[in-house]
Amino acid sequence: MNDIDAIIKKADKLRPIPQVANKVMLIVQDPDSSIKDLSEVILYDQAVTANLLKICNSAYFGLRREIDSLHQAIVFLGMDQVADLVLLASAAGNFKIQQKGYDLRENDLWRYSVSSALIARDLAEMKGLKNNHFIFTAALLKDIGKVVMSQYVSDSFDKIIMLVSKDGLSFREAEKEVTGLDHAELGGLIAKKWKFSDNMVNIIRNHHLSEKPADSDIETSIVYLADIICMMMGIGVGSDGLAYRFYPDVLDSLGFSETDFQQIMVNFSVKFQKVEDMINKV
Amino acid sequence: MKVSNDINANLVTYSLGSCIGMVIYDPVVHVGGIFHFMLPESKLDAEKARKNPFMFADSGTPRFFKTAYELGAKKQRMRVIVVGGAQVLDQKGFFNIGKRNHMAVRQIFWKNKVMVDYEDVGGNVNRTIRLAIKDGQTRLKVSGREEITI
Repeated sequence: MNDIDAIIKKADKLRPIPQVANKVMLIVQDPDSSIKDLSEVILYDQAVTANLLKICNSAYFGLRREIDSLHQAIVFLGMDQVADLVLLASAAGNFKIQQKGYDLRENDLWRYSVSSALIARDLAEMKGLKNNHFIFTAALLKDIGKVVMSQYVSDSFDKIIMLVSKDGLSFREAEKEVTGLDHAELGGLIAKKWKFSDNMVNIIRNHHLSEKPADSDIETSIVYLADIICMMMGIGVGSDGLAYRFYPDVLDSLGFSETDFQQIMVNFSVKFQKVEDMINKV
Repeated sequence: MKVSNDINANLVTYSLGSCIGMVIYDPVVHVGGIFHFMLPESKLDAEKARKNPFMFADSGTPRFFKTAYELGAKKQRMRVIVVGGAQVLDQKGFFNIGKRNHMAVRQIFWKNKVMVDYEDVGGNVNRTIRLAIKDGQTRLKVSGREEITI
């Protein structure tokens, strides 16, 4: 078995994303779906429901009363919001653990993923897109490959960091050079294994715009930009630091100015304490 | 922003990306602090800057120093450290917020005659900085490297 096969094999040991997440993704993409459809799917998974209620009662939402049922959660927060929270509650398991290869403490990758997802949703709303859930989910799960790559990055860290600091490679390019695979590519393979849609697989695989940055679709561009903003804000950043490539054309193609770019950072920073509370609740 | 004269206090600011972390310490009165700002100019959003001046270099830096002066610190005795201001690869011009943050600090310090004792800025790394109020010991952890005492 070569290195790449061994890495892919290791991905089988990830906790699978609960089925409820896949079902919720389908429901929110179906214009004919109802609150009843959503609640029936979620109620079936008690662990996810319990996590969901904890998130609803976090300071992030600042609700005056305690939410103690799924029905209440949907009434107070709306179906759209609850759908995103189910995905959040489903994904937590894999992301909260320490990732030594990337020098990420417990909760760091989770903080990074949730923050990227919230920023991506804000960006999608600013662009008036309708598939916010899809973008939120892609941004939330885009770094799933890191959970598996961590060990391999740890084993070859000196080589990788040398390529970054001496040869000017991005961390992703250096991962690929040393291990034969990078965390984004691996993330795409995992997403495929988890039977995510082709579009979701593509965004996860290309979230650093390693393929054709100039004509990336709008969803990938938004997920990419949310990632860059998190990096710059230093939210849950590890040993890979900010060593990823910046493509200013993406801002142009999305119609965001440099001032918009800074304003997005300010707006997210203002609510970050509340986001932190939500992150710690799951 | 945190300023303290409690000798048991250890201040820390984690994971600075393009943000800047500023450390000041007066060893005579054991007063020190860490200030972490995100962007150079408060004119971007005056309303938010009024509520949280520490988000920006221009509105936060004077307040940070004043808070230390109120606890007895003196500018001429202070050790001043500046870290952070990193950038994503190929990030140039207006989008290089790390560099612009650094320029903003240099300008404010130049106008106010503040000398910097130690600086570690730029690059594609993220940084964590810690300050012990007891003796002013300052430790810097740069991603991909061992922690150092500065």
